Amino acid sequence: MKSSLVGQVVILAALALLPAAGEAIYFRDKISWRSAIAPSEMVTVEQARGWGDTAIWVDARPDDEFANDHVPGAISLNEDRWNELLPQFLAVWAPGKKIIVYCSSLSCNASREVAHRLRKEAQLSDVFVLEGGWEAWLKKNR
Amino acid sequence: MKTPIFAFTLSMIMCLGARAELKWEQTTIELHPAANDKQAVGHFKYQNTGKTPVHFKSVHASCGCTTAQSQKEEVPPGDKGETTFNIGDRTGTQIKTVTVETDEAINQKTVLTLKAEIPQQLEITPNFVFWKQGEKADTKTINVKVGKDFTVKHIKVTSSTPDFQAKVEEAGNGQFKIDVKPQDTNKVVASMLTIQPEDSQKVFYATARITNAPQVQ
Repeated sequence: MKSSLVGQVVILAALALLPAAGEAIYFRDKISWRSAIAPSEMVTVEQARGWGDTAIWVDARPDDEFANDHVPGAISLNEDRWNELLPQFLAVWAPGKKIIVYCSSLSCNASREVAHRLRKEAQLSDVFVLEGGWEAWLKKNR
Repeated sequence: MKTPIFAFTLSMIMCLGARAELKWEQTTIELHPAANDKQAVGHFKYQNTGKTPVHFKSVHASCGCTTAQSQKEEVPPGDKGETTFNIGDRTGTQIKTVTVETDEAINQKTVLTLKAEIPQQLEITPNFVFWKQGEKADTKTINVKVGKDFTVKHIKVTSSTPDFQAKVEEAGNGQFKIDVKPQDTNKVVASMLTIQPEDSQKVFYATARITNAPQVQ
């Protein structure tokens, strides 16, 4: 009876493996991999809070999510309206200020993309990505 | 032993028969927008081919792109609709995904993929030049490179305020230099530099600004 049960478990596991392998192959190119970023360009909520007024918070999420709620004082800068929002961000930026970019969660990529464009296109330094994004900030602040 | 395996197989087949009430016309779209197109939007069309209503639980774009649905959250049997996916002001090669979650018994999550090659007519670096207040009003240069597949012989640059002067110099090989010089650096001012390629309606922007002197910590 016991060996029969084990046998069934093995067969069921083998059956489950087939579609799982198929899905892994099928979705191989459909996963949105996150942009590579150096650990030195990441910042935790605690570190970012320690920077106080010397930092500018940048919200890389879409407009509706920003309108719903955001880090107090954060500036909206997303790639949907990059050309329109960038000058508004640059108007509040000042030399020596650190820039903390966040998106919705650990798995999102928008903050990395925005940080990359700020470094490459505007050639700003001290641009950091918030680890865990808005979700992490909420956990520590609400 | 045969009975449980048979029962399991039968239940799997029955589940497969009931799945996919919401049928997507396509789950991958490839866009090739023209240089002058202001937006690249993917339209993913669907239809509820099942016998019960399907409810959308969430539509989540991995990139933070704007997504929208033409229909309400419930899709009655037989109804059609579409989920749109706006690539926004992104440039270059874009491969973005949207995960649509429904309350179907099986196949609750569908991954929609939008591939787009957004042509970049001009690459402007940096698109921001600044001077600290009181700093010497030296000329700073913005480099403009014409993208491959494009021919731009001249560009026109205008400053939104007279506080900055912008002078264009052709550097050859599809490259230009924009020399930007402030009148002075006494006061905090900013200007939008509008960069327009000859014979094109597309407009590009750069920002010039006199910033506050950094505070001593």
